[in-house]
Amino acid sequence: MAVSAPQVETIPRRNALGLSTFVLASPFTDSDAIAFEYVRTLGYDVIEVCVEDPALLSAAFLQEQAAASGLAVGICGAFGPDRDLSHEDEFRRRSGIDYVKHCVDLAEAVGSPHVAGPMYSATGKTRMLTPTQRSDQRQWAAESIREVADYAGERGVALAIEPLNRFETDLVNTTEQALELLSLIGRDNVGLLIDTFHMNIEEKSIGDAIQLAGDRVFHVQVSENDRGTPGTGHVPWNEFFAALTAIDYRGQIVVESFLPTVVEIARAVSLWRPVAPSMEVLAEDGLLFLQQRLSPEVVPSGLPTTAT
Amino acid sequence: MFRYTYNTLVYGHEPIATGIERIARFGYQGVELVGEPADNDADQIAAALKDNGVVASSIISIFTPERDIVSSTPEIRRAAIDYLKGNIDYAAKLGADVVTFTPTACMKISPEVELAQEWEWAVVAAREAARYAADHDVTIAVEPWNRYETYLINRISQAAAFVDEVELPNIGVMADTFHMSVEERDIAEEIRRVGSRLVHVHLADSNRAAPGFGHTDFKPIVQAIADVGYQGWVSYELLPAAGDVWSVLSGGDAPEFLDPYTEAAITHTRNLERELGLV
Repeated sequence: MAVSAPQVETIPRRNALGLSTFVLASPFTDSDAIAFEYVRTLGYDVIEVCVEDPALLSAAFLQEQAAASGLAVGICGAFGPDRDLSHEDEFRRRSGIDYVKHCVDLAEAVGSPHVAGPMYSATGKTRMLTPTQRSDQRQWAAESIREVADYAGERGVALAIEPLNRFETDLVNTTEQALELLSLIGRDNVGLLIDTFHMNIEEKSIGDAIQLAGDRVFHVQVSENDRGTPGTGHVPWNEFFAALTAIDYRGQIVVESFLPTVVEIARAVSLWRPVAPSMEVLAEDGLLFLQQRLSPEVVPSGLPTTAT
Repeated sequence: MFRYTYNTLVYGHEPIATGIERIARFGYQGVELVGEPADNDADQIAAALKDNGVVASSIISIFTPERDIVSSTPEIRRAAIDYLKGNIDYAAKLGADVVTFTPTACMKISPEVELAQEWEWAVVAAREAARYAADHDVTIAVEPWNRYETYLINRISQAAAFVDEVELPNIGVMADTFHMSVEERDIAEEIRRVGSRLVHVHLADSNRAAPGFGHTDFKPIVQAIADVGYQGWVSYELLPAAGDVWSVLSGGDAPEFLDPYTEAAITHTRNLERELGLV
């Protein structure tokens, strides 16, 4: 379907729109140059690069591809068991801190405004803790992130912390809990990454949660309630976009989903079936949906109306 | 007018008679019981039900690594079927109508062998269970769980396909709105598609709290349940916001699930029934 690009561009959008490399390749490496051209051709402004294996991904490669494609690059972290910033073992916390600092270096090198992700813990820890253990874990998370925040601040980079649903972490599930962690951290360059998939499970009201976070929302990822194409399920999109407008959010909005064909990823996010006809369709329709919703006054007639 | 029941699972280690008394006090007609017949005295439960003027509605089966319908170990598959038959006996003894069925251990999120093989084991097991249940006038309800609790049947349409393949009159599809809020694009539409195959319903909000404490829009869902002519129980399986719900429950950290949610859940749905003109 032809979308009239000049028309869409007549009113500047307040948000750069991006696609996560999780939709394209995992792990994303220096051999995935083709992704940049692909994401640019689709019409996105940003490629959000998830740093799964730092040994396979270089700043030079990202800089080169960003320049060639004209895309902005966002940096997002992935937190396996060896990157646990709230682990009781100091040595383990240190590996986590070093990893996020490496992500900060990448962000600085490619001009990403932030490093985003659930950096307060290793993903997948869903244990029952005593209040004391929970408080210790929170303190360790805050200390570790504070150290990284100071490192990032010196490099002009912010940190965007992502709450995950109850099945992926026991530490920060809701916006409210994330805001508590932010006050423990006590640094202005630390804010939130909000993700509609997790919010659908955890927030009583997605709109209220966004308004509560206000200007601490540093980054946004969109995904449908089943991790499929935004606009095809029952995430309350009207409420979501109204809340982003209410807080005057001007950051990036990135479409995220995962490849059910990569076993490690499928296991990590428990995604066992295709959630869209193809990942290409998800990438294309996800962008179209965001463009429609963010510039409703310039949507040409005849575009499919989207479910809300 | 729906028949209402509340799942005692969330009451944790509280004496069962206390839970039954609470459920009756807030106007429910039924009590949904956890399928652990070995840990419970059926006679004592029957007496408590009678004392409080309520009946047993349904038995919730809990599948674990030791009783897993699709385990690659034959003894574990057999243990799961025997467990299920034990729940059917328990249901028959208490007069409950429904026993739930999910063909994997809870929280197991990857297959041990080819999915087609696991599906086949599940179909064979479901047939054995349903035939056994038929002799006891019990219905088997196949419950899809969200992706973090199982990989085999996540969606209502998958459960419907499974039930169609089993092809016995006393097995049907169960809808749990918490799982559906993660997995389905349109909950009400899926319920309509299941139609007369719907045999059990769990209402829980998007965050697994009582309806009204999350953001699920229950109006179209309740309308759809009524429209398909559903005659079964409307139950509430509410659980704490944790990956490890058992610990939260055994630790007594979920007081809102006692009186507050027990009262709020039935009140919320009854108000909708009135609002929609269903009563």
